[in-house]
Amino acid sequence: MSSRSARLDEEAVGALQDVLGTEHAALWSYALAVAFLPPQEVAAARVDTAAHRELRAQIEVTLTQLGQRPVSAQPAYATPQPVTDAASAAGLLATAETDAAAAWRSVLERSPDRPLRRAGLKALTETAARCARWRGAAGTRPAVPVFPGRS
Amino acid sequence: MNDATAGRRGAGTPTVGVLVDRRRILQLALVLPVAAGLGGCGAATDRRTDRPDPLVALADAARADAALAAAAVAADPALAARIDPLREARTEHAAALDAEVVRMGGPSAVPTAAPPTAAPVTTTAAPAVTLARVREAVAASHVGAAELVENLPAERVGLVASVAACCAAYAEVLA
Repeated sequence: MSSRSARLDEEAVGALQDVLGTEHAALWSYALAVAFLPPQEVAAARVDTAAHRELRAQIEVTLTQLGQRPVSAQPAYATPQPVTDAASAAGLLATAETDAAAAWRSVLERSPDRPLRRAGLKALTETAARCARWRGAAGTRPAVPVFPGRS
Repeated sequence: MNDATAGRRGAGTPTVGVLVDRRRILQLALVLPVAAGLGGCGAATDRRTDRPDPLVALADAARADAALAAAAVAADPALAARIDPLREARTEHAAALDAEVVRMGGPSAVPTAAPPTAAPVTTTAAPAVTLARVREAVAASHVGAAELVENLPAERVGLVASVAACCAAYAEVLA
């Protein structure tokens, strides 16, 4: 049992570190994107930023509780496309949310722990909704991803 | 790292509980779960071969939603732009869920009766299908899929979670 727990635990920790990395990247992306978004989208971006900050804090606290050192943010991230206007800024946010969705889905796949599954599903669901908004703003169709988190 | 973690766990489920309590982070969705996961074994591998595959009902619900979406657009073509993506998504969900059912269970899984939500979908039904009704259906589908996520094995949970998240997003978008 203890070896099984250790294995589950290691998997869960790895998944949480990975998802923390995508949350760092998402926060960096939002900080960059707001400079290019129109005012009404800036308001939405701030709400989303707050949500990501909270997720990041929760993951970091959780990892710390488990005796793990939470991974740090990179100083900067490469954007898949240059961010030069509102559409490309929204596209970056859609990408960040897509990456986050994949990492959250992976949390579900890497831990059978029920409360963690609940938390992961909540995060995946909220990420999918944010992703839909930014895909819509970027003109990507369909706005709602069909299988959020599937890579 | 491994030893430290294991040692702490051996002595330490109460310790973890105390830490969690002291820092008042029980309300944080993520914290309690992993702490609980330290001591307990997850039940996510639970799968009984004598029960019907729960994904069959999800696939049926996906088909029902797609049919309902089509009926809503038939009743009001102006809804097409909003609802067609949902119809396409739910059609894709049904196909993916069907494939997973077949992969796991083979033919025995296929002929299960459709759930009640699948029944009232005929396009000629008396009251026109409204956007609100489509939204209600997809919101219910979100709940149905989300309820399974805690207990599914690793190889299935991602698909069902993605279906749940997509349905939730549509319920929000169509509100």
